[in-house]
Amino acid sequence: MTSWAVDSAFAVFAVAAVVTGFLVFRTDSMVRASFWLLASFVNVGLILVLLNARFLGFSVVLMMAGEMSVMAIFMVMLMMNPAGLNPMTMVHQHRASVAAGVTAFLALAGVGIVVDFPDDPARQDPAQVTAELGVEELGDSMLVFQTAGAALLATMIGGIAVTSRRGRYGTADEGSVPPPLDPPDAESAL
Amino acid sequence: MTALLFAGVAVGAALSAGVLTAAVFDAAVGATVARTAGGPRGVLLTPLRRAAVVAVQRRTTTERPDARAWALAPALLLGLAAVMLTVVPVAPGVAVADVPHGVVLFGAAAATVLIPVFLQGWSPNSAFPLLGGYRMFAQGLSSMIPFALVLIAAALPAESLAIGDIVASQQGLWNVVRTPLGLPVYLATAPALAFWQPFSGPAGSDLAGGVELEASGPHLLAWRCAQYGVLVGMSAVGAAVFLGGWAGPALPGPVWVVLKTLFLVFVLVVARHLVARVRMERFVVGAWVVLLPAALADVFITGWWLL
Repeated sequence: MTSWAVDSAFAVFAVAAVVTGFLVFRTDSMVRASFWLLASFVNVGLILVLLNARFLGFSVVLMMAGEMSVMAIFMVMLMMNPAGLNPMTMVHQHRASVAAGVTAFLALAGVGIVVDFPDDPARQDPAQVTAELGVEELGDSMLVFQTAGAALLATMIGGIAVTSRRGRYGTADEGSVPPPLDPPDAESAL
Repeated sequence: MTALLFAGVAVGAALSAGVLTAAVFDAAVGATVARTAGGPRGVLLTPLRRAAVVAVQRRTTTERPDARAWALAPALLLGLAAVMLTVVPVAPGVAVADVPHGVVLFGAAAATVLIPVFLQGWSPNSAFPLLGGYRMFAQGLSSMIPFALVLIAAALPAESLAIGDIVASQQGLWNVVRTPLGLPVYLATAPALAFWQPFSGPAGSDLAGGVELEASGPHLLAWRCAQYGVLVGMSAVGAAVFLGGWAGPALPGPVWVVLKTLFLVFVLVVARHLVARVRMERFVVGAWVVLLPAALADVFITGWWLL
C-alpha cells in the first residue's frame, strides 16, 4: 500500500476509535455502551494491522468480540434494568471523573509532546513485528505467561466440568427428582 | 483501486453464488426428506419463490426498537460472511486477501458473528428475540474456543497461520486424516456459531423464531441470506483447512475448492434436516466437557505427531 493510503486509513481508524470511545459514555444503555467499546477496540485492532502487527490486530478483534459479549451479559445481569433497553446514565461521580479525565488527558498529551518517539518504519515481515513485540512486552517471562495461560484454561475446563450438569434437584440431563420431605437418615446416607 | 474493485466483485459474486447454491441444496434436501414432489425445476425455483414472498412482505415493527442497531445486524452478518470468503485460497497464492494470518482473521470474523446475532435479538425490544440473543452468547462463547483450537491444530503442521500455507502443507496428507479430531469438532462448532440447525437454539422454533421473530420483509430476507453466507464462508474455510483445498486429481484446483466447499455445505444442510435441535444446556455442557477437551487433544496429538 502506498503511504498516503496508510496515512488516511490511520486517520480514519484513529478518529473512529476516539469517537466510538466517547460514545461509550454518551449512550444510555449498557448494551450499547459495550458495543461502542467493541467498535473502538476494533478500530484500535485495525491500527495495529496498519502497523504490520497483523496477528495482534486480528487477535484484538477476536478477543474483544467475545469479551464485550461477556461484559454485556454481566452488566445486564447485575443491573436492575431488563436487557439494558431502559434508558440509564452511563456516568457517575461527575466531578471526580471530570478531574480524572482532564488530568489523564494532560498527562498523556504531555508525554506525547515531550517524548522523542522513534520514527523507524514498521518492519515488513509481520511475524518479526509480532516476535519483537512479544520479547519487548514479556521478555524472559514468556514461559511463565504461557504456563499461566495453560493453567488458566485447565482451571476453566476443570471448573466447568465440576459444576456443570448440576440441576437444582440432581443432574439436569438425567431427570431431576425433588428432594424428599423427610430428610434421609444419617446412617442410610452413609 | 482496480484491484480493490476486482476484489469486491469477486467476493460479492462468490457470496451470491454460495448463498443461492446453499438455498437450493436446502430446498432439495428438504423436498427429498419430506418426499414432496416438485422436480428439479421446483427445487431450483423454491428458494427464489420463498425469497420473493419474504421480500414483498410488509415490514412490521415493534414498540420502541433500536432501529439503527436492528438495521445494522443483517448488514454486519453479511459483511462477516464476506470477510470469511476473502481469506479462502482458490489456487496457490490466489486469494482475495492472501494475508499471512488468514486463519486468525477468519477466527476474528467467526467470533464477531455473536455481535450481529445478539443485536438482531436485542434491538427489537421484544422478549423472545432477546432470549434468542442470550442463547447466542451462551452457544457462541462455549463453541468459540474449540473452534479456534482445531484451526490452530491444523495450522501447526504448516508452521504458518496463512491459509494458503495450511493448504500447501496438506498436499501429501489432508488434515482430515492427519488431525482426525479436527474436522468433527469443526463441524460441531461451526453450525453453532452460524446458529444453524441442530444448533439453532438462538433462532429456534421453541422461541417462535428467536432472533428472527420480529424480522420481516427485506430485513428478514437479508438476514437469511447472511446466515447462508456465514455457512458458506465456514464451509469454504473448512474445506481449505481440513480437506486439502485445491488439491485433487484431474480437475483444476479452483474446481476442487468449489466442490469441497459445496460438500461441506451439503453435509451441514443434511444435518439441518435430519438432526433434531440440541437443547441449550446440553450443548453448553457438551461444548465445554466434550468438544473443548477433544479440541485440546487434537492440538496435543498434532504436536506429538510433529515431534
